[in-house]
Amino acid sequence: LVGWIAVNFPEAPIGPRYIGAGNETPRSGGTFVFSAGSNIHTLDPHFAYDTLSTAACRLLYDGLLDYDYDGEMIPSLAAALPEISKDGRVFRFELRDGIKFHNGREITAHDVSWSMHRLLSERVGSPGYPFFKSIVGAPAYHTGQADEVAGIVVVDQKTIEFRLDEADQTFLNALAMPFAYPIAREHVEPLEKEEGIDAVGRHPVGAGPFAFVRWERGVQVELERFDQYWAPAARPDRMVFLENISGDVASARFRNGDLDILYRPNKVNRLFFRDSKAWAPYRAEVPSASVFALGLNTELPPFDNVHVRRAVAFALDRRKLEKLNPGEVIAAGQVLPPMLAPYDPDLPSLQRFDLERAKEEMRLAGLPNGWSEPVTVWVRGEGDVRLAELFQQELKAIGIEIELKLVTFATYLRETGRPRVAQAAFTGWHQDFPDPSNFMDILFHSRSIHPQNSENRSFYRNSELDAILDRARAETDREERLALYAKANEILAREAPWAFLFYPVDMFVWQPYVKGFRPHPVWLNEYRHVWLDLPRQRVSQEIYDQEASP
Amino acid sequence: MIPFLLQRAVWGVIVIMSVVTVVFFLIFVAGDPAVTILGPQARAEQIADFKARKGLDQPVALQFLSYLGVAPCIRKDSPKYLQEDGTPGFCGVLQGDLGESYSHRESVADVIGHRLPRTLLLAAMAILFELLIGLSAGIVAALRRNRWTDTTIMFATFAGISLPTYVTGPIALLIFSFLLGWFPFGGYGVDPLDHVYHALLPSLILAVAGAATYARVMRGELIETLRHDHVRTAKAKGMPMRRVVVRHAVRNALLPVVTLIGLSLPFLVGGAIITEKIFAWPGLGLLTIEAINSLDAPVIMAVVLMFGVAVQAGNLLADIAVAALDPRIRLG
Repeated sequence: LVGWIAVNFPEAPIGPRYIGAGNETPRSGGTFVFSAGSNIHTLDPHFAYDTLSTAACRLLYDGLLDYDYDGEMIPSLAAALPEISKDGRVFRFELRDGIKFHNGREITAHDVSWSMHRLLSERVGSPGYPFFKSIVGAPAYHTGQADEVAGIVVVDQKTIEFRLDEADQTFLNALAMPFAYPIAREHVEPLEKEEGIDAVGRHPVGAGPFAFVRWERGVQVELERFDQYWAPAARPDRMVFLENISGDVASARFRNGDLDILYRPNKVNRLFFRDSKAWAPYRAEVPSASVFALGLNTELPPFDNVHVRRAVAFALDRRKLEKLNPGEVIAAGQVLPPMLAPYDPDLPSLQRFDLERAKEEMRLAGLPNGWSEPVTVWVRGEGDVRLAELFQQELKAIGIEIELKLVTFATYLRETGRPRVAQAAFTGWHQDFPDPSNFMDILFHSRSIHPQNSENRSFYRNSELDAILDRARAETDREERLALYAKANEILAREAPWAFLFYPVDMFVWQPYVKGFRPHPVWLNEYRHVWLDLPRQRVSQEIYDQEASP
Repeated sequence: MIPFLLQRAVWGVIVIMSVVTVVFFLIFVAGDPAVTILGPQARAEQIADFKARKGLDQPVALQFLSYLGVAPCIRKDSPKYLQEDGTPGFCGVLQGDLGESYSHRESVADVIGHRLPRTLLLAAMAILFELLIGLSAGIVAALRRNRWTDTTIMFATFAGISLPTYVTGPIALLIFSFLLGWFPFGGYGVDPLDHVYHALLPSLILAVAGAATYARVMRGELIETLRHDHVRTAKAKGMPMRRVVVRHAVRNALLPVVTLIGLSLPFLVGGAIITEKIFAWPGLGLLTIEAINSLDAPVIMAVVLMFGVAVQAGNLLADIAVAALDPRIRLG
């Protein structure tokens, strides 16, 4: 019996179970199924601040602006990029013709204005409000001192103007966030009245390529193709977004052919897909728009001394990380991730491993024999502990002993945001929108220092940097702007408030019959342009046999 | 009976209150819920705004009293914050208001309302399997005492008790779902029949330890009961063995099992946390893990409250059931 079972026991598939029908031209139809490991919190774009809610809202809604696959800003519901006044404070948008909500009604400038008002109102309480505070009169409206936002002007049915208090080019990035996606007033108002503001997140009506069908909470969201979408293209008939599918389950389902795309498989499966020749054509690894670092508190000794910070930045051998986590990380030496201009691989002040220079910096700091007491490094979990242990030896080589302080994520967030508490901490940032200001202003501008919940968790103050960042924010000339950020980038790498460590790499694997997918540099799970090459055909695993023996 | 129930109820309330108090303050020791919910990307301004809306900027003691419903509502986004006449309203547990989840944009009652039935389905099927498998295995083992059937069953129960669900779960998934394809690979399905089908494997796994325990208890009790005089008398009267066992022996042997079932109810729901995680079952367990990780205080509190009530009710039910089965026991 045991022998029979052993002989007849099915084997795990080593390659795709299904391939496409071979259609050359994109075709509509089929159901596209994808999954995530936790819950979608809301389908109300004005509250979509987590990755899953954003991914779902990206299918349901559309905004004035969007990004293309190069990360460049493009018009979406707007007919073109806005006209910007000379002083960089007024943005004028023309709407596209024939843009409709899922209820079939045409979208006008009034809808854009009404949605922005909802977003900015205190009554609704969207977390997106701070991104739009620079609109003239937004704070007055938010606090109830004004009935409407003075800086949002509906010029005519198709034209809307935004006026800002001060020139701020990142306003366009803010407008491209899901927070600014218009929603249908006639649908939202009665819903809010009868069931409360939260109900909008359960019954979404947007203007995106897919319309809402149903949401079994915690299980799945189902969407169907919206035929009156302004940009007709071949699309699946249905989209199913499964929630709460853990990593192992998702990977196994994917290999079974039950999921159409797999995003960020967990470690074991990641190694499997990396090594698999059969899956190679259907796999992409791209750096994510994040950076991880060892944050150094510039207010506390020894890191109040720039030479000590630099010594740390030169002492860390980031290639070790790449070797230990093959394909999962890319060594970082500056704050900007590789896909974000003005990232510079040849930055003169690039942080990299150079033990001699590290020792030299310690001498310049007047600490040739190192720092007398151990330095406390705050870590958020076991992953950080392993990371820290990796660097313990190297910091010892320049005379810095580190002591790890393992705390819960909750404690970590609270304590590292307070001045003069954490000497050093593992830290990181993921972009909210693709603009250098989103890394530099938030993390290193002195304006981001507060008595509590500082965004600037290294408490770094540099008036020169502040001035450059302020100028760059307002600069309308693209080249000039990038030059300013390049300068800021150089300063940050040289001054080393963070010792930059790595950029994580994301992995996607998709089924052979899934076409039109490309990793998007801004949106994490961007499935708007996917089509399915159906009917899919089951193939025998034997065709992959030649690769089975390595 | 009535005085006994009253006494138990009072004690129950005291126990639940103590647990709720401890957990409430623990959440604030663990970290700042506003900071944790909004995550590492949050701006100081967003955090301050969130705190003001939820009343998290108030003293913790006041927050607690307001949560209980003995102090006025401090959640500005609650419809009960201000009453129609402009006076402050109450929005606490005493008013039947569990608040709004911080991360799910929905009331806690609704969030739990979605999740609880799923976990109950899992737990109910698990109990069914526990009894079905555990009791029959126990009876067979007792009747075939010290033969190879008995030895095999006892060995299996030993393994069943020893193996935790986080070992058996993934192995079962690998074999029965991934390789053999007999069961769906985790998840919940879309219609009622589908739910049951999806629940089969996780509830079987959840039932392993319980079934093993019941089998051992049942075997021990039955062997004991079979020695009793009334059983011998029944046999002597020529009653068929099957009837002797079913009517006279098993009924008596069931007593401790019933107590065990009552006591195991809350643990079944608790054990479901791990099982739900493994099988991607979107029930209360997964919700609880997520709520704890993100310090979603209203959800954590509600779950603690529910578990408190469930444990108390389970114990009480067990006591009553035993009294009903055993005429020698009188409550009061």
